[in-house]
Amino acid sequence: MTPLTHLIAQSIWRLPETLSKDQRYLYASLIVLGAFVLVLGLIPVLQTLPPRGRRAVIVTVTFLAGLFFAAEFFLPVDWRSIFPKDDPTRNFLTPAIQPAQNVLQIIGALALGLGTYGLVRLHLRNVVQKRTQWGYSVVLLVAFVTMATFSIWNTLAEKELVKKTPFVERGFSILFDFTLVQLDAAMFSLIAFYIFSAAYRAFRIRSVEASILMFTAMVVMIGVVPLGAYISYTLLGLPQGPAPADADLWTRILHSAGLPTIANWVLTTLNAPVQRAIEFGVGIGGLAMAIRLWLSLERGVT
Amino acid sequence: MTYQHAQDNWFAAFVIGFIALAVLINILRARVGAQLYIRRIPGLDAIDEAIGRSTELGRPVTMIPGLTSFGVVAVQALTIFKYITQQIARFATPMRLLTGDPTVFAVAQEAIYDAYNEAGRPDLYDADNIRFLSDRQFAFASGVAGLIQRERVAASFMFGEFFAESLIFAETGNMVGAIQIAGTTSFTQVPFFVAACDYTIIGDEFYATSAYLSREPVLLGSLVGQDIAKLFFALTAVGGAIIASIAGTDAPIIKLLGQPGGWDAFFGGGK
Repeated sequence: MTPLTHLIAQSIWRLPETLSKDQRYLYASLIVLGAFVLVLGLIPVLQTLPPRGRRAVIVTVTFLAGLFFAAEFFLPVDWRSIFPKDDPTRNFLTPAIQPAQNVLQIIGALALGLGTYGLVRLHLRNVVQKRTQWGYSVVLLVAFVTMATFSIWNTLAEKELVKKTPFVERGFSILFDFTLVQLDAAMFSLIAFYIFSAAYRAFRIRSVEASILMFTAMVVMIGVVPLGAYISYTLLGLPQGPAPADADLWTRILHSAGLPTIANWVLTTLNAPVQRAIEFGVGIGGLAMAIRLWLSLERGVT
Repeated sequence: MTYQHAQDNWFAAFVIGFIALAVLINILRARVGAQLYIRRIPGLDAIDEAIGRSTELGRPVTMIPGLTSFGVVAVQALTIFKYITQQIARFATPMRLLTGDPTVFAVAQEAIYDAYNEAGRPDLYDADNIRFLSDRQFAFASGVAGLIQRERVAASFMFGEFFAESLIFAETGNMVGAIQIAGTTSFTQVPFFVAACDYTIIGDEFYATSAYLSREPVLLGSLVGQDIAKLFFALTAVGGAIIASIAGTDAPIIKLLGQPGGWDAFFGGGK
């Protein structure tokens, strides 16, 4: 059996153990081949449909897919009163969830190919037509080909489908660990400088709101670092920790006046509820959008 | 692997059903002609202003859905971009849509093509203007920042799901003097956008955008349904706080709503 068929049989399809090894590879290959033929055949069929027919297909598929996930969620899971040997943690649709998610991943992988094709086509055109700044496109294409070659080679070597050589190993390590990861880190570190310039603009005192924002931010920033504790408890000598149960009002105020306590109060009592309220709003909005998409009421991009 | 089901907490399932019903009933109301009010959102009013500035300067408009993978957030972002493209098409303003997700890229190509078609200018559509840059966060960020700098964009629209790269986009846009309008569901990125952009759409305003721009009855109705659901959550939160303050967190009603297994657990059954 070819290594590719072996890979397909091992990682994509879990065929019954009762089948012989050769039979499993054969079935796996046939299934993959069949899927390709089906997809390749389906695309021209869909292209020939008139827009209204195409829309009807999309509406039906969207509704059925949504119905499947909704039914899986809402149907009771415990069927032991009818089928005593049934698994009480899942209903009859649950086992199909993972394959459905695999389908989504496959669609994503196909789209990645499409995206990469678009990117390469654009930059090839830039180079061939010598458009402005075409040198950047050359860099991109060279980097793309080099990285893809070493990545694929290294992955195949890790799966023992091709021989692993020090050249591949070292080359991949230089490109990935010592170049790509470091460039990522460099981009990430830029954020520190951007935060500084953005914070400068945000904290300029132009209105009452900006003043409140700046004051609160200063308290929180100092309160959550050791400087806050140093100022409050060492320099000012404020008492640490919660006040005793029988303490008078003044003692209670002093116990609550430390910058770390105030910063914690701002974060947990003011900030957290507001964030939760926004999250609720976003969640409800997402659910409403999902309903509109499921029932094909959304006409934006569908 | 374990999956969540309605039976885990019937109250949560009831809430989902309630929201769905509120949304659908109000969509029907809007369809039969009920007049629904939507408040002004300044950030969305500024979209036309930003497009106008780009047109005057002859510099491109960028649209960035971030690293949003294909889902409801991406659909909403593309709906907004479709509207913006329809406006852009009227003045033949150059545009770039930059995405970090290949699935969004494929759908974006179709959506933008439709937008130019609907605006009566299919000749202006150029597939190269919709670009998939990379699905790696900072490779995508550097690609976007580079394009903003090189092409000196005049307006930048960022709608979708953003992570740490949000500030890189917003600050780079700020440096080249672009008018920037951002809207995101990622509340951790809202402060960065507020600090660096001219207008920011916060939280569920993001989902109100398409209704605001198009005034379609279906979308307006859905928005009213969402508001009813929010009112329900607010009342539940206030009611819960009052009950927990008076009767404690062990009160039967709080157990009923919050305990795993929901009503099953409350009545002594459950899993």
